[in-house]
Amino acid sequence: MGRTAPTYRQALEERMKRWDEFARLLTTPEERAAFETLRTGARRYAAQATYVGSPDLLESILLSVLLDLARRLPAEPAGRAAAR
Amino acid sequence: MDGAAPTPDGWLLDITESADGRSVVLWRKERSTGRVRRTAVEYRPPFLVDGPREELAGLARRLGQDPEVAGVERRVLAPSLFDRRARTVLSVTPARNPHRRALARSVDALGGFARFRLYDVDLTAPQLYHLGHGLYPFAPVAGRGADLTATEPAEAIDYVTPPLRVARLEVRIAGERRGRIPPPDGRIGSVRLGDVTLEGAEEDLLRALVDEVARSDPDAVLTQGGDAFDLPWLYRRAAACGLGPDVFRLGREEVPFRPSRRAYTFETYGQVRHRDAAWPLPGRFHIDRANSFLFDDADIAGLVDAARLSRLSLTTVVRQSPGTCFTAMEMAHALRLGAHVPWKKNRPETFRRGDQLVAADRGGAIFLPPVGVHDLVDEFDFASLYPSIMVRNNLSAETLECRCCPTSPIRAPGLGYRSCVRRVGLIPRTLAPLLARRMAYKAAMKRPGTPPEEVLRLKRRVKMLKWVLVTAFGYQGYRNARFGRIECHEAINAYARRLLADLVPLAEAAGYRVLHGIVDSLWLRPTDPARPPDPEAFAREMSARYDLPLGYEGRYRWILFLPATTHGLGVPNRYYGYYEHGEFKLRGIGARRHDTTVFVRRFEGEVLDLFRAARDADGVRERLPRALARADLFAERLAAGDWPRDELLVAHRLGQSPSEFVTFTDSVAAVRQLADAGVHRAAGELVRYVVLDRRSRSFRHRVRVAELLDGDEPYDAGAYLELLARSAETLLAPLGVDREDLLSRWGVAPPAERTPFRSPERAVQGVLEEP
Repeated sequence: MGRTAPTYRQALEERMKRWDEFARLLTTPEERAAFETLRTGARRYAAQATYVGSPDLLESILLSVLLDLARRLPAEPAGRAAAR
Repeated sequence: MDGAAPTPDGWLLDITESADGRSVVLWRKERSTGRVRRTAVEYRPPFLVDGPREELAGLARRLGQDPEVAGVERRVLAPSLFDRRARTVLSVTPARNPHRRALARSVDALGGFARFRLYDVDLTAPQLYHLGHGLYPFAPVAGRGADLTATEPAEAIDYVTPPLRVARLEVRIAGERRGRIPPPDGRIGSVRLGDVTLEGAEEDLLRALVDEVARSDPDAVLTQGGDAFDLPWLYRRAAACGLGPDVFRLGREEVPFRPSRRAYTFETYGQVRHRDAAWPLPGRFHIDRANSFLFDDADIAGLVDAARLSRLSLTTVVRQSPGTCFTAMEMAHALRLGAHVPWKKNRPETFRRGDQLVAADRGGAIFLPPVGVHDLVDEFDFASLYPSIMVRNNLSAETLECRCCPTSPIRAPGLGYRSCVRRVGLIPRTLAPLLARRMAYKAAMKRPGTPPEEVLRLKRRVKMLKWVLVTAFGYQGYRNARFGRIECHEAINAYARRLLADLVPLAEAAGYRVLHGIVDSLWLRPTDPARPPDPEAFAREMSARYDLPLGYEGRYRWILFLPATTHGLGVPNRYYGYYEHGEFKLRGIGARRHDTTVFVRRFEGEVLDLFRAARDADGVRERLPRALARADLFAERLAAGDWPRDELLVAHRLGQSPSEFVTFTDSVAAVRQLADAGVHRAAGELVRYVVLDRRSRSFRHRVRVAELLDGDEPYDAGAYLELLARSAETLLAPLGVDREDLLSRWGVAPPAERTPFRSPERAVQGVLEEP
């Protein structure tokens, strides 16, 4: 409705179309699955990225993807988490 | 106000424009007799023209000779709400009220559509009469004729609705079932008005109807599709029988047989809709349930409330959107402030850089819910959050970023837009009483001892107000809204986003984990299920902290957040759950949609019934095998080919005009089948059909429209099994149910991706239409 700038979610989906082209030439199922993980990660934090409203789309996408990967890392040892 | 108000001896029901174009007609219902009296008053309200002094002088000379102009006068006043300095303007009185807009357009054209600013053009004569005389629709009045005094203000919360006589009207064509396509010369076989059913030879029947209307003298006539069918058909057959407007009178005065407004197609919130022509019944209200957005939700009690507050006739309120009511309320407040209503919005958006736009042009915060079944979930909602934010932070087009408050402490988070701290803006002025009103109604509903019929009436008024309040926000961002401003829209969203973000750590501190949030609602789960926090206390604390009413909606025994079919993550607005207080909440599933096929609705109903007894998330999981067994049972009956056809009707709203369709789909087939039977559908209208053979390329064999349905035609079981599988997947996907697995289990080949088929006719037409 008369909106000038696309929403973050729209811009993200637009960028994803470009990523699809990238994925087209992946050759193993493992790579394709890993790629799917990245895409899901990018979408998972759309709410947070929208909240920031950064003019840099890629910053928001990369931050989302990184966070999604980081949360899959093995948990930190209790002592280090407590030291923060 | 002077001393005690006089005692009312009647109600002002409505003010209408009179046929002579020079007066308005006041319709007053007498308290003692219940009769409605008509009084015509000469009334031609002026509109204002502002512009450069020398041009106004030239314009005044020119308009002085125009036969369409009754008078031109110079006046000194401050017309604009945005600029309160006084100036000389022209006050132009049209010779005839219906020519008001045409005259204004020609004045605008004389100014090159840029040099003149016009005010009060699109307020109607009845609207201005109300505002200029302290009157409003359904006002209790004292006095006679045109000398009426309202005995209470329009904003009164506790008032008596006049006792309206309401009669249902239903026309039937001889030898035809209602809902079928009537033959073009179909004679009227019977008419029902209220409790009376009239039958007989057509002309006698129509004359008897006129007598019955005069005898029962209803104030409001209720129809189902009366604008599209009953009224035009009555007028058409009356003309065919040689009955003129002098004899065939259904209203309280004589009018020519033609619509008072033509049919049109419009777009709203991304949907194309159609509105039928409106047929007049002067002096009576015609409420067409099929042509009214508000009637179902608001009913007469809510509509009367909206008419009082907006000064719009019930006839207008019933056919228009809540946004129209809100705009009219704004206009009333603007005039009360001594300002006038600009005809066109004359305030371009200020230029901003791309990154500012990206930062500002955002909606409320919307989380992605975790897909799956959850239990022990508490839901909280802010009541009327956006309007409350507007009132609390004084957000209004003419006061935002004002010159008088450069150091205002009220600034939109992240955007910095300043709110005025010296003047209360038009929007908060309009909204504050509506919010107070809604709260008062809600409180009265809960008060012990309120009779049930009063509770129902209040509930309808609350619904109506809710819609008006919702549009108040949307209209801030709408480019044509006279008092809207995009920066206000942005500021409201910024305040709302910050609020929801602030609540996340506060909820955690209270012992909750945030599961999901949408703009003004939160779904929270106790961090320690064994020791859940007190939800009422949390709601109270947050309400007090932010001075915004956060309500506790209830605790879910279980709730399913549903995934998107495309990427599998949660969809913010698709979930269903069951509260501990024994109520479902359903969002984005078939049962919520008006156009869901009946058998799908039945299936959903059975699944929900099954889950109703589940105590928690595990209870839902345990019931999955039984839900799938239901699906199998439905599939078996569908495949057998004897499912009742009317339960298989698919409804589709046409998104474009039938000539624009490029792909041959079920709905295109339906449109062409209707056209073949002589019925034409416009964009925004519904078609309903049963799918007979979805692979057929013939509009005769692909579907059967509801209007031609016999009830024994063979249907395309595969198409319906797919619908069933889709519905099962929507509801049960979080439990691992997959559409394609279901289809192969029922022995249906999974659907091939549909290839668009270009209709050859369309291609040929395209060539023919090229110049």
